Amino acid sequence: MRIPAMRTRWRHSILFRTALILISSLILVSAITITATIMVTGERQRQAANERLTHLLDTVESTVSIACFVKDAKLADEVAQGLLKNTEVRSVLIKADETELTRKAIASPTSQENSSTSILTREVHSPFTPGKAIGQIQIEGNTEAIERDINQEIKFVILQALGQLAMVTLTLLAVMLLYILRPIKAMSEGLHRLDATKGERLTMPKGHADTEIGSLVSDINTLAGNLVSTLDQERTLRQQKEQEERKYHSIFENAETGIFIITQDGTLTSWNPAFARLMGIPTNDSYKGSLNIRQLPWENASRIAELALNCHLRNTVLADDLTIRLRTGFRRWLNVVLTPIDEKLQQGVVHDVTEHKEAEDSAKRLAITDMLTGVANRLGLEEKLRELLHDPFIAQTGGFTLMLADLDSFRRINEGFGLPMGDSLLRDVTARLSNGIKLGDTLARLSGDRFALILQSVVDGENIEHIAHRILESMRKPFFIEGTSIQIHLSLGITIYPEDGSDIPQLLRNAELALDRAKAAGGNSHLFFDQTLAEAANQRRQLENDLRLALQNNEFQLYYQPIVDLSENRLAGAEALIRWQQPGHGLVPPDAFIPMAEEIGLIDEIGLWALDAGCRQLAQWQREGINRYLSINVSGRQIPDGLTPAALTQAAQRHGIDPAWLALEITEGILLADISKALAWLHAVRGLGFSIYLDDFGTGYSSLSYLKRFPIDTLKVDKSFVRDMSSDSSDLALIEAVIAMARGLNMKVVAEGVETHGQLTLLRNMHCHYAQGYYFSRPVPAEQFEAVATLINTSLNNPTPNHA
Amino acid sequence: MPIWPRLLFALGLILAPWIQAEADMVVVVNARSGVERLTQDDVINIFLGRYRQFPSGLAALPVDQPENLPEKARFYRVLVNKDLPEINAYWARLIFSGKTSPPYQAKSAAGVMDWLARNRGAIGYIERSQVDARVKIVLELEP
Repeated sequence: MRIPAMRTRWRHSILFRTALILISSLILVSAITITATIMVTGERQRQAANERLTHLLDTVESTVSIACFVKDAKLADEVAQGLLKNTEVRSVLIKADETELTRKAIASPTSQENSSTSILTREVHSPFTPGKAIGQIQIEGNTEAIERDINQEIKFVILQALGQLAMVTLTLLAVMLLYILRPIKAMSEGLHRLDATKGERLTMPKGHADTEIGSLVSDINTLAGNLVSTLDQERTLRQQKEQEERKYHSIFENAETGIFIITQDGTLTSWNPAFARLMGIPTNDSYKGSLNIRQLPWENASRIAELALNCHLRNTVLADDLTIRLRTGFRRWLNVVLTPIDEKLQQGVVHDVTEHKEAEDSAKRLAITDMLTGVANRLGLEEKLRELLHDPFIAQTGGFTLMLADLDSFRRINEGFGLPMGDSLLRDVTARLSNGIKLGDTLARLSGDRFALILQSVVDGENIEHIAHRILESMRKPFFIEGTSIQIHLSLGITIYPEDGSDIPQLLRNAELALDRAKAAGGNSHLFFDQTLAEAANQRRQLENDLRLALQNNEFQLYYQPIVDLSENRLAGAEALIRWQQPGHGLVPPDAFIPMAEEIGLIDEIGLWALDAGCRQLAQWQREGINRYLSINVSGRQIPDGLTPAALTQAAQRHGIDPAWLALEITEGILLADISKALAWLHAVRGLGFSIYLDDFGTGYSSLSYLKRFPIDTLKVDKSFVRDMSSDSSDLALIEAVIAMARGLNMKVVAEGVETHGQLTLLRNMHCHYAQGYYFSRPVPAEQFEAVATLINTSLNNPTPNHA
Repeated sequence: MPIWPRLLFALGLILAPWIQAEADMVVVVNARSGVERLTQDDVINIFLGRYRQFPSGLAALPVDQPENLPEKARFYRVLVNKDLPEINAYWARLIFSGKTSPPYQAKSAAGVMDWLARNRGAIGYIERSQVDARVKIVLELEP
């Protein structure tokens, strides 16, 4: 076994290869050299031989020429004999003109085989006439002798080359052995014995410190050093890793959280005891065979498969809550977090979140339930609507109907009977409403006494009409609450999806529009939403916007209607009436925009503007020396904060007017609001010197006791009484009574809406203090007022009725 | 008298004898030989032993002037541009083979004339002044 190994090594050794290459190349070079030498030597020899023959010819030339001249064969023979004595001459031929004088050759076994023998021919000239040819001499060289010489020379050359070859080869090999192979062998043996980890290093071969061998040795030593330090680091890292692995393994084994690792196809490669407990499977160590994560008791195994696939595809951490059903029948919620470890493996962490999930569910349920009635609340309704709107089959089922229901004058009951009673009533109403709808329909209480119903798959008008009637009908029987019988109605606004709206806010808004209209029409009825409702709402919204801009654009204007003193037959003052010069709509009367201004909270600003404008007018009159009362209308909404006593004083001071000439017209409406605040306001205003007129007296819930309690200076009898005064004696009596009562309470009375001379006469007879109406003048702009005033004063002092 | 003609005359006096001596060497044959003219080559061939007959086929018998007279040397100088020693060396090589021999060596100038007169195939060289009825000029040698 050793020998072939040795041989192999020997064959592959550098020495052998070098020697092989060296010898081969030297042989090649020698061969070329020898070949060249042979060629050159042969040629040279031949030339030399030729030269010698030529010389030979030169020496005999004169004799031959004489022989040829006299055609002396004997002389020619002698010359030929002489030439043949030379070993290099094989044969001689001498011719004189065409006559052959002599032909001689040496006896030779290989006489004439080689045709390429060198034959030298020379013309023989006459010895006396130069240039005249008289014969020819031909010498054939003895090539054998020449070749022999050549061969000898070649042998010598080859021997010389071989000698050089051997010398060079041996020298080179010796040098290599000494300077390269021996150090390498020493290094190799050194490396075999070397233990680098103990710090051993190769020793530098002697005399090689600066050679390539030397740098190789130091490179090897450096490498060994690097390797050793790398190995050290590696070992340290491995130890750390082992330690960490032990740590993590312990965590893995003892964690309460389920941990598992799956391959890309879902095969579980390992799982911890907690996971086994959660899933009701054997522990990883005791399980034999392959288990796929999909085989675990998931309620929906495709979801975990999908999660794993997505985790793999997106290469990101994904989590989901999934349910399992254990063999015991319990359903558990598990939070599964999948983390990709590498291309093929995923790590999963599983928590039991059942309790959390159940708490969440119940909180969710609670959030969408109305606590009072137990039906859905606004959130629940919206969730249901969202669900329906996102239902892909909603188009096939034809849609649904949304009804809003509102109890008519529920506030009255709450106020009249107290909140607990109201709540009981709401519960009973809820019960009746839910009896009126089918299973699967939705009933929700949105707020207060407002309910919503979703009727699924009911969209045809007749059917809805029928249901609406049934609901209204169900309210007909009185409710008995704590022994009290309560009769209540409700109104319904109805919208149909998808015709009446494509989203939840629109549906609800439209249902509300219909409901508002149904209530406005008197309640206890239902109304389908239609587009005109929406348009009306739009117009109203537009009007609101315009109204908001009206103040900025200075579109309001005060008109003045004269008030006449009947006892003194002269103009006493005027009522300031606001007008809205709306661009594109002309003059808008107050009853068309004041309620809206009250609703949208613009009344305060408008009121302040009117106060300011009125004060300015009053100031102008006073500057002109005209003593006139001016009354300004104040809305109930302005009291007490919209038009504070301080604001009134400021206005009066700003324009420099005496408060005694400014009156504030209030209606009985304010008496229905917070009475104590209203009362305080009235006292404060009156205390400042302003007068208070009670407008539209007789139309509201006028309570005579109010008149006593409220500090009022003047009553303005509503125009409806004045209008019917002449035909209806009771109205006449009423006005008479009012005037008498006012006089008793030390108040003045203004009769509004006087349109005829007859009415004026009746009022005079009743000693009514003041009158106001078209009989005297319509409300006019300030610039026309003086003309009207003059006209009135003139006509009053001239009793002929010149305008009626 | 101008100087130039006198100088030319003097030069002529100096050169005259030499010019005289070089001229007038002619090759002659017996008057009866029937040979009229010979080329220089014919003369060379005959005197140097290549052929010993005239173009007519008549055997040629050449004769040399005596060795002590300048004519012989002059003749070979003019004919083949060789010294007498060279001519003698030439014949030395041929005498051995016996193939041919040198011309007949006359003892005196009169001997030459005698040879020429006596032999019908005789051929020799003489000064033009020596020519008489017995001989006939076949070639005039140009110096």
